[in-house]
Amino acid sequence: MVDETKLAEKQETVETLRKVDDDLRLPSVPERNFFPKEIDIAPARLQTPAIGQRATRPDGRLHGLGQTKYIDDMFFPGMLHAKIKRAGVAHAKIKSIDVSEAQKMPGVQATLIGSEIPVNSFGPSLQDQPLLADQVVRHAGDGIAAVAAVTEQQALDALEKIKVVYEELPPVFDPIEAMSEDAIKIHNNDSNIYASKTIIKGDIEQGFKDSDYIFERRFTTQMVEHVPMEPHASIAEWDANGRVTLHSSLGRITLGRADIARTLEMPINRIRIIATVVGGNFGGKNEITTEPIISLLSKKTGHPVKCVFTREDEFISSTTRHPFIMDYKTGVSKEGKILARKVRIVCDGGAYCSWTETTLGKASILSAGPYNVENLHVDAYAVYTTKTVTGAMRGFGAPQVCFAYESHMDDIAAELGIEPLEIRLMNAFNEGSSSPTGQVLESVVVSDSLIMATERFGWKEWQK
Amino acid sequence: MTDITLNVNGEVKTASVPPETTLLKMLREDLNFTGAKIGCDVGDCGACTVLVDGLAVNACLMLAAQANGKEVLTIEGLSTLDKYHPIQKAFEDVAALQCGFCGPGMIMATKALIDQEQELTRDQIKDALSGNLCRCTGYTKIIDGVIDAYEKITGRKVPARNPRAA
Repeated sequence: MVDETKLAEKQETVETLRKVDDDLRLPSVPERNFFPKEIDIAPARLQTPAIGQRATRPDGRLHGLGQTKYIDDMFFPGMLHAKIKRAGVAHAKIKSIDVSEAQKMPGVQATLIGSEIPVNSFGPSLQDQPLLADQVVRHAGDGIAAVAAVTEQQALDALEKIKVVYEELPPVFDPIEAMSEDAIKIHNNDSNIYASKTIIKGDIEQGFKDSDYIFERRFTTQMVEHVPMEPHASIAEWDANGRVTLHSSLGRITLGRADIARTLEMPINRIRIIATVVGGNFGGKNEITTEPIISLLSKKTGHPVKCVFTREDEFISSTTRHPFIMDYKTGVSKEGKILARKVRIVCDGGAYCSWTETTLGKASILSAGPYNVENLHVDAYAVYTTKTVTGAMRGFGAPQVCFAYESHMDDIAAELGIEPLEIRLMNAFNEGSSSPTGQVLESVVVSDSLIMATERFGWKEWQK
Repeated sequence: MTDITLNVNGEVKTASVPPETTLLKMLREDLNFTGAKIGCDVGDCGACTVLVDGLAVNACLMLAAQANGKEVLTIEGLSTLDKYHPIQKAFEDVAALQCGFCGPGMIMATKALIDQEQELTRDQIKDALSGNLCRCTGYTKIIDGVIDAYEKITGRKVPARNPRAA
C-alpha cells in the first residue's frame, strides 16, 4: 500500500529543492556583454601616416565600457582577502604583538607579523623600510600585522582583535629640528640626515660682493598624496611548485620582482608578476608594498590572497611628495641680472628613504632654475622624521624648487621695478649655456617659448 | 542574510547577502558587474556611480537592501550589441579617459545629467560632476566629452566658454 502522505511530502521536498536550485542558479548565469565586438580598421594600404593625425587611446573604449579589469575586478576561486593593521602611533618600540584572538575570529585563515618575513626590509636605494614593523614603529602608517580572511569585512573585524603593546618614543615632526645633533635618532644612525648633495659653481663670495642687491627668502611646500583613483592592489598565489604569481598594480615590475625575491629569500625566477591596467600611478606605485606579505599569506593558506588598500591606508601608509624647506639668497645687479645664488634645501624625508635620493638629486640640479647663474652654491639634505614615507611623485622634487625660484624671481622683479617677463628673458638659458652641473645645453628655446606663450595667452592684456 | 531582487540593466537578478552589504559590493561580487569601482568606499570619489530609478547614486553609500525592487543601470547596460552609447563614444573620441578608473562613474553621472533634458552651460556641467573625482585629466577633456555627448544627444549647443574665465 502506498503511503499517500509520505509521497506528497516527498514531492513537496523535491519541489522545494528544485526551487532552491533555481534560485541558486540565477546569479551564476554569465553576464551577457552588450557592446559591438567589431571595430573599423582602415585597410593597411589606406592607413594615413600617424603624424598630424588625431589619436585616440587604444584602451579608451574598454575604459568607457567598464570592461577594463583592474586588480579589484579580478576574482580567483577560493580567494581570500587580506587587510593590514596600522600602528596609529608616530614613534614607538614594539613590546609585543598578539594575534591569537584575531586568529579565532570567524573566517580568519591566517595572520602574519614582521618577524615571519625572511628579510623584513626593502627600499629602492636604502633598504631601511620594514614590510611589517616588528621592532620599532617610525610613523603612524607602519603596518604591524596582516590578516587573511574569507571576506574583507571579516579581515577588518579581525584587525581590531590584534593586541600590540607599545613603548612610546618622542616623535620628531620638524625636519629642521631633526637635523640638530641632539635630536632623537629615528634609525639609530649618527644623524637623521641620510642623504645630502652639494653643487658648487663659480665663486659665490665674489658673486655676492659684485651684486648691487641681495634678496633672501624662505619657501616651504607641503606634503602631497598622489591619491590615485585605484588604491594599491595585488593578488598573490603561491603554488605547489613553490612559485608565486602576483597580479599587481606595481608600476616597476622588474624592480619590484627583485625586491620581492630579496624579501622572500628566493630566486627571482620563482616569482612571476603580471602587471595589469593601473588606475593612476603618479609615482606612488613604483615600489612594493604588500606583495611579499600576501605571498606569504597565500603560502600559509594555500589560497590566492587579494589585498586592496583602503583609502585610509592609501593616505597614511603609501608614499607622498616631499615637503621642502628652501632658503634662497640671490645677488643681482641693478639691471636685474643674477650674479650669485645660494640655496639650502631641507627635504623632509619621512620615516623611510624610498625614492628620496633621486628626488634630492633632481631638486638640487634644478634649484637654480632655467637661468644663467655663474656663481652658485646648493646644499641639500634629506632628513628622517616620524611622518608618512615620502617618495616618488611626478617631477621628483622639480615642482617644489620651481615654486621657490619662480616666486623668488617675481619678488626680485617687483622690488627692482622690472617686468616679470623681462627679468626672465634677461637671465634665461640660451644656446650653449652651461647647467649648474656643467652640462652644455643645446637646442635651448626657453626665451622663444616664453615669448610665444605670453603672446598666445595675452600676457600684455592680463598685466593691465 | 538578506534576500534581494532587483532589476539590473533590464534583467531581474536575485542575491542573498549579509545585511551590511552595500549595493556596490553586491553588484561587483554577487552579480559580477565590476564596472562600478571602489575608489574610496565613503562616497567622496564617485567612481561607484550607478543610476537607481534614473537617479545617480554612490553605490558605496546605498545598502543592497535599499535597492530591493528598484531598477539599477550600470555602465555595462549602456551600450547595445550594435552601438556604443553616445557618451561612451564621446569620451573615447576626446580622450577623456586616461587611467579609466573614474570613467564608469563619470559616464553614469553624465547620463543622469543629460537625461534631465535641460539647457546646460559649462559651469552647470562642472557642478553636476563635482561629486566625481579624476586625478589624470584635470577635467578639461571630461567636460569636453560631456559637451560633445550632450550636443549629439539633444541637438542643443553649450555656450562657448569665456576665454578669460578660469
